[in-house]
Amino acid sequence: MVSILASDQDNPDGSKSNGQGKDSRSSEAQDHSKAPVAPNGNKAIPEKSAAQKNEKPSGAELKKRAKAEKAAKRAQSKQGQQAPPNDASKSTKPENKKLSDEKESIQSSPQHPPAKLQHRRSGSASASSQRPLQLRPGQQQAPAAEPESRKEPQKLAFISHLYGIPRRTSIAGAGKDVHPSIFALGLQMSNYIICGSNARCLSTLLVFKRVIEAYVTPPNNSLPRDLTIHLSAQIDYLKSCRPLSVSMGNAIRWLKLTISTIDPDTPEHQAKTKLCSAIDNFIRERITVAGQAIASSASSRIQDGDVIVTFAKSSIVERTLAEAYRQGKNFQVIVADSEPLFEGRNSAIALANLGLQVQYASINTLSHFVQDATKVFLGAHGMMSNGRLYSRIGTALVAMMARDLDIPVLVLCESIKFTDKVALDSIATNELAPSHELGFVGTGVGKAGEEDEWRSASNLVGLNLMYDLTPAQCIHMVITEYGSLPPSSVPVVQRLSTNT
Amino acid sequence: MPPPAGTLTPGLASFLSSLKSSPIETSVESLVSLLRRRQIRGSRSCAIATAHLLRMVLRNIPVRDVTKLIDRVQQIGQRLAEAQPKELAIGNILRRILGLIRDEAEEDRDREAGGYGETGIGSRNATSITSPDRQPGPTEKRSLLAPNTSTTAPAITSLFSPVPLKSASPTSTPGTHTPGGGSPIAAPLSSTPNTAQDLRAEVVEGVQEIIDELNQADDQIAGYAIDHIHSSEVVLTYRPSMTVQRFILKAAAKRKFTVIHAGPFPNDHWPRRLAGNPNTSLDDDEGNPERFQKSLTVAGVTVVMIPFSAVFALMSRTSKVILDPHIVLADGSLVAPAGARAMAQAASMHQTPVIVLSGVYKLSPVYPSDVKTLIETGNPSSVVGYDQGSLLEKIDIKNPLFDHVPADIVDLYITNLGGHAPSYLYRIIADHYRNEDIHLMRSDLE
Repeated sequence: MVSILASDQDNPDGSKSNGQGKDSRSSEAQDHSKAPVAPNGNKAIPEKSAAQKNEKPSGAELKKRAKAEKAAKRAQSKQGQQAPPNDASKSTKPENKKLSDEKESIQSSPQHPPAKLQHRRSGSASASSQRPLQLRPGQQQAPAAEPESRKEPQKLAFISHLYGIPRRTSIAGAGKDVHPSIFALGLQMSNYIICGSNARCLSTLLVFKRVIEAYVTPPNNSLPRDLTIHLSAQIDYLKSCRPLSVSMGNAIRWLKLTISTIDPDTPEHQAKTKLCSAIDNFIRERITVAGQAIASSASSRIQDGDVIVTFAKSSIVERTLAEAYRQGKNFQVIVADSEPLFEGRNSAIALANLGLQVQYASINTLSHFVQDATKVFLGAHGMMSNGRLYSRIGTALVAMMARDLDIPVLVLCESIKFTDKVALDSIATNELAPSHELGFVGTGVGKAGEEDEWRSASNLVGLNLMYDLTPAQCIHMVITEYGSLPPSSVPVVQRLSTNT
Repeated sequence: MPPPAGTLTPGLASFLSSLKSSPIETSVESLVSLLRRRQIRGSRSCAIATAHLLRMVLRNIPVRDVTKLIDRVQQIGQRLAEAQPKELAIGNILRRILGLIRDEAEEDRDREAGGYGETGIGSRNATSITSPDRQPGPTEKRSLLAPNTSTTAPAITSLFSPVPLKSASPTSTPGTHTPGGGSPIAAPLSSTPNTAQDLRAEVVEGVQEIIDELNQADDQIAGYAIDHIHSSEVVLTYRPSMTVQRFILKAAAKRKFTVIHAGPFPNDHWPRRLAGNPNTSLDDDEGNPERFQKSLTVAGVTVVMIPFSAVFALMSRTSKVILDPHIVLADGSLVAPAGARAMAQAASMHQTPVIVLSGVYKLSPVYPSDVKTLIETGNPSSVVGYDQGSLLEKIDIKNPLFDHVPADIVDLYITNLGGHAPSYLYRIIADHYRNEDIHLMRSDLE
């Protein structure tokens, strides 16, 4: 991969595909410092020289490099299988040609018009900002044949702000400083292997611990300053795989704060140990113990004969139900679920395996199963400061229906998911997942071989939002580790939890 | 008894094609079993099948007495309704046809009243408040005979010949009135000396008008589209439906707008087609998702496919919700595919108007006293496939196919007669069914 990266730097017309130039001020700054390393307009720099330039090739870095190299090989072999090379490519060098092919395919990717990219592009043509983007697997297979022929699906005007850069699905083109475990985590997140606010936050923190352990302060730099920058590169990589969850954002903010408070004179290994134990403490306090507190508080609200409705999968709801079952309460659970993720299936199986009486229903039948319910327990992705619940798409429907039928709606939410942001509807803030995940035939990215003309028509769009916003009036109670409160008290708890 | 369909799969098309060649009893049996097996489903298909069958019955059954004719039709209709009690459209068509017969008979009696007095059908004809403008035929009094004096043989032959001329052909006045009880039926001009034949001819013609109405309802409803969809609107629909499709296409001919289509998982889900289960029911009024998407896309409408769960999120950007009901009940509430309730609820929470497109044949005089009896339960394997073994073993899965949507969260009904407030539907229903049939059917269904 290093070679591709290097040539990518060389490519003068890199501006076209500058897909990832978005976020990281910090990583760019870092890249600037290394920019002279890659001389412009030359052929690929051999790996050796790249290695020489890196000051201290630590074990982790070597490992990373090996991995990156492997990825490069993979990417190249993939390129080989792809469509015939484009003559329009400006460079005649083999690497560059491949690259430009790749760029072509990126540009022709449905959600990725060049105009947008240019707009998004930050000022510098920094190395790591030119990551050759890969489409997600489902997309990749089909367009490999003839990506140019597909028209770009129209962007819906009212959600055009949500079309960002398509999610990264491979480690190709990642920054040099990204730790291998971050690569793995990023892929797991973008493929929903690690999914859910808590799981993502927890795994991020654990992986950051490993990053910190592997970190070596460069000479003439102090750990508090450089580690923050180093972490930023990791965070940017994670962001490019999937936008950060609210809980991750909170945890990262805390971590950066903690790092900045470290005395620069502390010996490195001591500082690292301190940080790792701080992370452990944070996980214990804000996730594990908070979860226990919520589970015991919420399970006390379950009575014999209750019928609890829950939507999709929430670790904390599962825990609560399991806790209530352990206490010997006799109740039923209805797990509502929705395409495309079907998270509820896992939840339903897990609960049924414990011995609970579980019913599973599709979200569109909710008027039936909510009627049977006595309580609705919802998990959260985030709690907005104006008391609204930001959670997996579909949650709002369940809450609305329950409110209409006067069934109490309880939201179980750790304070780490509270945010000071406010939102009024699900459109302004949201995450847009690739539309082909919906599995509709006609989403502009139909499966190869099944494509009729109309199916790839630009005015047939699949829209796959990840979250929706439940109005505060649909929520009767929010149960946090600080206690049970109405949604109007969310900002108070948010202040409480950030001050401590 | 499946119909003797050659290449056709059993369904509405095969039934209709076999109708002419089979004896009545066979046809009834075949329709009953088709309904039972859900090979004919959906209000429109059921209504069409019922109307065709009853037309055949009316043509072919040797009946001398109107009372017996009504009994016979009722008996057959009852069998159909019992075969599929959740398809209220069968009952609606039956009521319309019974109403036709009664109206005709009443008309005859009125005409006869001066000369011959009671004709033996008066006992069945309760005075009807629902059909105010029945016209007496003042010039026909002399030619009328009591029905029981007629001979049947000439009646049948004459019934197969073209029906007597009418002043208003059904196609010439679409949307202005629907045939059926209550609507004025032109006085017969023929001077056939046989009342029963006459009456039957009239009734058969009335049934033909009902069939025409069934075929035209969608287009007539679509005629109102321009009044309701304006440019750059965002319209939310649910389930592919021919009625909605035509409505949108009609508007799309003149306006540019966006359609958000909520994917109907688990039923009628797209991959079903891919899984080698082709949607053969082309006569299905629920339509075919592929065709729905295709026709709209080709017409230049921007079609946005969303999973059902995104309905709430997008409601704030939606300007209208368009629903196609399965059946509409007398209080203005409706039964629609599962999810419609949540959708309408979300719409009313966002103050988004909900428009229901329903042919008059879907308006049922039944009140929703026990809604659960109207909700059909579908196959749970479409929610969770058999490949998810562990899930199936331990977990209950339900798949109700319909929702009952209360009238207060519906803003407008558009029928082939025009737009109506939900609170006004009772009146249209009263115009189309006669009181005695309403109660008759209630007891049948119970």
